[in-house]
Formats: sequence, structure tokens, C-alpha cells
Amino acid sequence: MTSSAITARRRARSRRGGSHWWIHVVLGVGGFVMAFPFLWQIIMSLSTNAQVQSVTPTFWPGELQWQNYAQVFERLPFLSQLGTSVMVTVIRTLAQIVLCTLAGYAFARMRFRGRAVLLAIVLSILLVPSQVYLISQYQIVQGFGWLDTLMGIVAPGLFSAFGTFLMRTAFLNLPPELEEAARMDGANPFQTFWRIMLPLARPSISVLAITTVLWSWNELLWPLVVSTRAEDMPLAAGLATLSGDRTIDYPVLMAASLMAMAPVLIMFVVLQRRVIDGLASSGLK
Amino acid sequence: MPATTPAKGRGRRRAILGAVAAIGAAVLLAGCSTSSGATGSGGGYEQAAKDTKATLTYAVWDENQVKAIKANLKGFNEEYPDITVNVDVTPFASYWTKLQTQGSSDTLPDLFWMNGPNFQLYAANGKLAPITGEVKAGAIDPAKYSSALNKLYTYDGTQYGVPKDFDTIGVWMNKALFAKAGVAMPAKDWTWDDFQKTGAELSQKLKGDGAYGAAGGMDGQTTYYDTIFQAGGSVVNGDGTKSMYDTAASEEGLQFWTDLIESGASPSIKQLTDTTADQWFTSGKLAMYQGGSWFRSALTGTDLEKDVVVYPLPKGKEQATVIHGVSNVVSANTKHKAAAQALQVYLAGKQAQQQQGDMGAVIPAYEGTQDAFTKTMPDADLQVFLDAVDYAKPLPVSKNTAAWNTLETNLLPSAFDGSTPVDQVAKELAQKMDAALAKEQ
Amino acid sequence: MTIHTERHPTADIPARTPRASGPGAHGPERRTGTPTRAGLRRTDGYWPWLFVLPLLIGVGTFYIWPIIQTFWYSFTTWGVFGGATFSGVANYVRLVSDPQLYQSLLNTVVYTVIVLLGIPLAVWLASLLNTPGLRFAQFYRVLFFLPYVAMPAAIALVWRIMFNGDYGIVNWFLGRFGIDGPYWISTPGFALVAVSLVGLWSSLGFSMIILGAGLKDIPPELYEAAELDGASRWRQFRSVTVPLLSPSIFFVVIVTTISSFQLFDLLYAILGSTNPVIPKTMSLVFYFYSAGFIDNDKGFAAAIAMVIFVLIGIVTLVQFRIQRKWVQA
Repeated sequence: MTSSAITARRRARSRRGGSHWWIHVVLGVGGFVMAFPFLWQIIMSLSTNAQVQSVTPTFWPGELQWQNYAQVFERLPFLSQLGTSVMVTVIRTLAQIVLCTLAGYAFARMRFRGRAVLLAIVLSILLVPSQVYLISQYQIVQGFGWLDTLMGIVAPGLFSAFGTFLMRTAFLNLPPELEEAARMDGANPFQTFWRIMLPLARPSISVLAITTVLWSWNELLWPLVVSTRAEDMPLAAGLATLSGDRTIDYPVLMAASLMAMAPVLIMFVVLQRRVIDGLASSGLK
Repeated sequence: MPATTPAKGRGRRRAILGAVAAIGAAVLLAGCSTSSGATGSGGGYEQAAKDTKATLTYAVWDENQVKAIKANLKGFNEEYPDITVNVDVTPFASYWTKLQTQGSSDTLPDLFWMNGPNFQLYAANGKLAPITGEVKAGAIDPAKYSSALNKLYTYDGTQYGVPKDFDTIGVWMNKALFAKAGVAMPAKDWTWDDFQKTGAELSQKLKGDGAYGAAGGMDGQTTYYDTIFQAGGSVVNGDGTKSMYDTAASEEGLQFWTDLIESGASPSIKQLTDTTADQWFTSGKLAMYQGGSWFRSALTGTDLEKDVVVYPLPKGKEQATVIHGVSNVVSANTKHKAAAQALQVYLAGKQAQQQQGDMGAVIPAYEGTQDAFTKTMPDADLQVFLDAVDYAKPLPVSKNTAAWNTLETNLLPSAFDGSTPVDQVAKELAQKMDAALAKEQ
Repeated sequence: MTIHTERHPTADIPARTPRASGPGAHGPERRTGTPTRAGLRRTDGYWPWLFVLPLLIGVGTFYIWPIIQTFWYSFTTWGVFGGATFSGVANYVRLVSDPQLYQSLLNTVVYTVIVLLGIPLAVWLASLLNTPGLRFAQFYRVLFFLPYVAMPAAIALVWRIMFNGDYGIVNWFLGRFGIDGPYWISTPGFALVAVSLVGLWSSLGFSMIILGAGLKDIPPELYEAAELDGASRWRQFRSVTVPLLSPSIFFVVIVTTISSFQLFDLLYAILGSTNPVIPKTMSLVFYFYSAGFIDNDKGFAAAIAMVIFVLIGIVTLVQFRIQRKWVQA
């Protein structure tokens, strides 16, 4: 059979959708398992606290407690914290994009003394869990006078080893011939970087952006420790304050968490195409 | 990641390493604070002028109480209009991590909540300002608070914290479940035996509903500390140097729970770890819940509220309950000492305390302001909690309470579920606890 | 009949440098930098420093310095709020003879292995998702990515409730098959399994996305050629998909391993802080946290941190060595 005939047959098969039903079953079941805890969370957010903690689970609360959502706004300065989350995330993402692309390019394509060692040192910070940095970073931030400020929350997260690694890989996968050509035309390294390499690395930058946004949005311990004003905290930290001393108001916490998750989820749904395409040609492989 | 170069060890590269470190060091030295030492002040107190200007940070962990605190602050600002107070709520789990981090760089909040288990750590390291000055000047009168609480917040003869609220332990009874099981409500002056028997009977009769009569659990404050005291024993000795677990009386106190679980009166320890006793109660699956006065807020507004009544703890060799309460402490290094102390004094005063009680979140510590608490559930006889203060013993604590609390959590379950004899576990626990206490000295 | 799996000149993809420059590149000696007309240039002058310095300063200040500090503290006995006294290798000696270290290491390894088992699953699911012309593909993708977007604290609480021994969904479900589910959160071995399953659940989406992208890059002609040779679907998967996907798989394995070794938040949120099974279930980072913030023994905690550092480093290096042999260039 010729290759085109095979392709034609395959396409015909998928049009008929014949052999595909089992794929849908598998993906459907898998997707359900992935999504189930969120469904449960939604149900919890519409129940009363007693129902959430009842010894035989309450599958359906009967009376939907919509006021839990309203309560979120009463208990938390939700919008203010949302604003902080957005600011922190945007600043960090932009900073990481700038710093990591610059450094990644240098590590990938430029020669300088000690390059390998410096790269190893930078990447080594990934080997240490974040809790180890807590007190030291706190003291450093305090030394700068950034306690209780946006800068304090943002600062350590401006620099990323993962991002550097990602961008370095991306640049490594671009053909060197382009740079040679640029150099022969007399461009200095920055011009080469800015005009030629950077645009080609756009897919990887999308990946970096997405991972930074998600990580930054959900970061909890550091902002909690570094800020003392509820309005200045990002959402994730603000949510945590809903866990009381001996009792947790589960429904309100769940409602708040769902609302906090919404912006990022919407962003992902909208940008899905971009993310996948970004990953596909990012040369991560 | 380049896999080839073992990074450290090549001569000229050290230079780069050094440079990076040097930059970092310079930055750090700019703001690093070093050791602690006793930087506490000598307990001086000056009443702040009414027009003092300051912005204070007041750190708390219970979001439920913020409303009452804000009401307090309104009253405070009538006296001191130019002092702005920022209430910083941190969830309990992270509160102490944050506080420690702040303590390490002397950026503790001006005024903050302190509890028994953590108090000595901060007091011993000079992080707290004593209230001696305020007491001398008559701004704070320790006699208005329970002596057990005052003692809890005294270290080395100096009191540092002024009690803000207190809680005691009682037994929350679900009348409806009693009725369902057809078991009569016991007398209020009941003993251990009565409790055990009633528990077992209820469990048996309610088996079909998957409900139990009583519940043990790993929350020492509401369960085994109380029974240890009731057996005449104690958990740690007076100056926090030796564990008292391996005494006969303490072991008796522990045995109480082993028996309770063995007789089927209580769910197993595994079940109780998965689902805590209070959850069993709020789900209507537990007839008698040994719990604190704070539990009241979990009941308001629920269907269960009308079926609930409070009993005092059953009597062992003696009658006892554990008392504990939060206190307000001022940071020794605060930049606004006078203002912070003014706040501390105000919050400890009758008006603020009465307000706290009226808004119902906690039982205020100030003598005579607790009436509002009992009124919140008029038929439940919450007075029991207040009466319990007379025979209350303070929560067992030491300089590093958390370290041996962990030991309790790790070792006691095997005693309670009967897999290891109680005296063996008690001995091991006492040994390990002594080691932990010795490290503190 | 074999299908050749070496890299194949594919005219429609822009010429790339050899795959050997993907993750895990060889050292700088191999790469020739940017050759000039005059030949190899040794350095690019001051330019690289302009590019790299901002990041280096930031990383140095906020990350390297704390690591150096931690290294120093591991040789001291630290008071709770500061005031270190030098104590040599005492912390390490104590650490090495503490059975809790080995238990924590074992727990962390078990967790990591279970989560890594999700990768074959992710490969399979990603390839299903990649079926050409699949309807609802976008929808499925969003579903699988949901766990990655979630706020960890809240989701962990939901899972905790779902794993409840008496009334949790998991046991209810098992009960339908006649299996008497255990008390997951309160039984030592099962608690670890429960946490691992949640870890697997939450990392699956991210892996699938990366692998899915890698799959997209495999030219369909290869499959056609295979089919022409009479290869079955499974054979095609084994001989075409897996080898060409190996760089992505490698990336996912590395990232998953490193982050699994740092397990803490999930464990803490699901088990709670007063759970008797903690000693048998705690991870290395949990061990660090409990030494540093509960026992207030910061010198000892620093030693643990250094050990974690070395362990993850070794594991990662080993993985890179394996990669050289196994990952197709």
C-alpha cells in the first residue's frame, strides 16, 4: 500500500470515529478522576460546615449555601488580595523572562570564564527545598527594608534557576548559523540576542511564563511570613487565614479557593493553544 | 546541567565563587541581625500620653475573633485617637513559624498573642517585655485574672503576659442521642466509673447507627491531661525539668482511655485520627464529647444546638480540669513601647474584656465579664465551664513544649489501642521526654 | 524487522544543532561557541557578564548566600533565635545515627517512585490525547491540567476528606468492589500510599502537557513507514514513539524527581501536624522542618538540609549519566 493510501485510510477511520470510542472512555474516566476533587470542592462550597464534616458524607447539600461565596468577601479583602496576587505574578513573570532569557542565552551561546561552574552553581539551588531559605531570605529582605512591602514579597522569586535552565535549553536548540550570519553583519551580541534569537525563543518564553504564573499564584508560606497586613497579602496567603484556631470553616475556604483558582484557570483555557504550541517547539526535548 | 564538571575544586573558579559570595555577604551584613541575648527592658512603664502617635502591629491567629478585636480597637482609639493598630491574622499552623522568623531578626510585632506552650521559649530568650511596671502603676491588676493563668505566663518570677481569655474542659452531651438509646442522663457529680459505664452502654445501644458513647483521641488538653490530673498525677514537674509520666497516678490517667477504647465505648485511635472526636459529635454520632469551652462556636446555628447540655468532667481521685488561655504580650524590642503597652493595658481592662465576652467568641479572662458567655446558650448550662476554674490546673508546658508534645503523639497511641501495656509506654515516654527537657536547660 | 530510530533528516523542520545539546548537554569543551572568520574565539569579552550579572547577583544574594549560611550552621549548635556556637561535625554524627533519617529517606524514595510510575501512564494518556482528529481534545486537556492549577492547601483538605476511613469516597468506592478499605490517613504504610497517589494525581497533568508537545513533534511519516512495514500499533508505539519521545520523557523524569524529593506541603496538609503516623511517613523535608521549626534545633536542621542537597544532587547526576546512554539524540 502506498503511504498516501495509508494516510487516507487513517483519516477515513477517524472521520468515522469507529475505533475511537475506547479512547474517549479512557480519557473520560481519566479526566473524571482528575476533576472529581474539584467537583467535590464545589459541593463542599455550597454546603454547611456540619455537612462537610458529617461522618456519612453529604453528597448533595440540599439547600445550596450560596452565601458562603458572599462570606468570602466579608472575611477577606478579596479584591485587594487579588490585586496583590496579580501584581506579584506580573512583576515576577516579567522579571524572570528578562533575567532568564539574558542569562540563558549567555550560558548557551557565549563563551566566558567559569561558565560551566557558574551554571552549576545556579542550578544547584534547585536541589534545596524552599523551607531552607526561609529565615535567611527573611533576614536579607529585612536588611533591605522590604518587609511588609510588595518588593519583599516579590524579591526572591525574581530569580529562577529553572527558568535559566529552560531558556538555555531553548537557545541551545536554535541553529548557530543565524548568529554567525548576524555577527558577520557586524551586530554586537546584544543586537543578535534582541533581534534574532529572542523572537525565535518565543515558545519557550510562553512556557516560562505559564510555569511562573502558576507557581507564583499559589505560593503560600513566603508571602505569609513577609507581610503583616491582610490587604497586602496575595490570595493564597490570604486564604490560609481562613483556617481558624481549632475550627476550619471548610465551605468558605473551599469557595474562596475556587474563586482564587478561577483567573488562572480561565487564562489557561484561553491560552491553551499557545501553551501547547509553545511546548511543542520549545526544544524542551 | 553539565554533568562533567565537579564544580567545586578548580582553582580559578573558586575566585568566581568567592566573588558571588562576597557580594552576597556584603548585602547581608548590611542588614543581618545576630544573636539574641536578653534584650528585655527592666519592666519600666510610663503611661502613654493621649496624643501619642504610632502605628502598631497586633498579631493574632484566630480570624473568628477579628470582629471582637476591631470593636476593642474602636474603644481604644477613643482614648488614643492617633495610634493606628494593624491586625495581622496568620493561621495558627503558620503563626509560630512566622513568629520565630520574626524573632530571629528582632522584628516581632509590637503586641501579639502568646499561648502557654510557646511562652517560655520567648520569655527565656528575652523577647518579651514584662508587665511589672504596669502592675506597679496599677494599670493592670493580676488579681482580676485566674491565678493559674497568671502563673502560666510567669517566667522566673516575672509575669510577661496579661491573660486575655481562658478555656476549660467539660463534657458536651447530646441529649437527643441519650434519648434515642434509651439511656438516662447521668448525675452531674459523676465519677470515672459512671462515665465508662454510660459510654459503653450508649455505644452498644447506638451500634446500629454507627454512633458511640464517648471518644478518646490524641488531644491531650481535652482528654488525657485532664484524667492524669484527676488521678492525682501530673505531666511535667513544677520547674519543667522532669517528666512525670512514669508515676502510678499518671499511668492511671492514661489507662482510663485504654479502658474506654477497649470496652467499645469509644472509636479506635485510628478512627479518631481520621475523624476527630469533635467531628463525630457535630455529625450527631457521638453522645458525650469531652471538649473545651471554645467548642461552643462550632455549635451555634446548627441543629445540634438545642440538644446540647454541658456536664463537668467526671471525677477521678479528685476533680480537675485543664485551664488555658491566650495572653497579650509586648515585644521587648518594639519601637513603640509606650503605645504597645497602652494597648496591652486597654485590652486587659474591663471594658474591652466585657466586649469580647459579649461578642461571644471566647470567655474573657477578666473577673466578672463572663456572663455574656453563659447567655449565648442559655439552656446548655455553660456555667459549668466557669465553675471549673475553681479546680483547674494549668496546661502542662515547658521551654520547648512542642518537642515533647510530638513524643506524646508518637508514643501514646499504642498505649491507648492496647497494643502495648500502658506502664511500658509511659516509661519510654518519660525517658524520651526527660531527654528533651534536659536539652532545654 | 527493525525500524531505524536514529535521528532522521527531516526537511520540514529547521536544521537543528545535534540533539546532544538538549538537556544534559556535554561540557563546554565540546561546543565550539560562535566561530569567527578567524576561528575559535576564547571569550566574548565583557558582553556575557552584562547578560548574566543581574541574575547572578540575585541568585547569589537570595539563594547561594543562604545555602552557604546553612552549610555553616550545620557545623554549629544554634539557639532558637540566633547565637551559634561551633560544634564541629556533631550534628552530622547525630544525623547519621538517627534512624529517622533513613526512615524519611525511604519514605521520600517510595513517594518518588510512585509518582514516577505516573510517567508511563502520562505517556500513554498523552499519546491517546494526541490522536489526530480527536473530538473534545481541548476539553480533556483542561481536565487533566486542573490539578496543576489548583490551590494546594484547599485541594489537600479535599483529598483528606476523600481518604477518610469511615466516610471517605475512596473507601466507599472500594466497598462497591467488596474491598474493605483501610484507615488511609492513620495507618503508617497506607498514609504514604495515599499521599503518593495525590502526588501522582497532581503531577500527571503537567507531564502530559510536556509529553503531548513532544509527541506533536514526531513526524507522522514515521508511523506511516512503520505501518507500511507491517508494524502493529503497539510495535509502532514501542519503536517509534518512545525513542523519539525520550528527551521529553527524560525532562519530565528529572523535574518530577527533584520536586518529589522536596515533598512537604502535601504531606503536612493531608496528614495534619498531630498525626501519630508522621514518624513513619515523614519525608526528608518534613524531617528538616520538624527539626528546625518544631524542635528548634536549627543546627541539626541545617545538617539535614545539606544531606538533602547532596542526595538530590547525586540522584540528578546519576539520571544525567543514564540519559547519555538511553536518550536518543
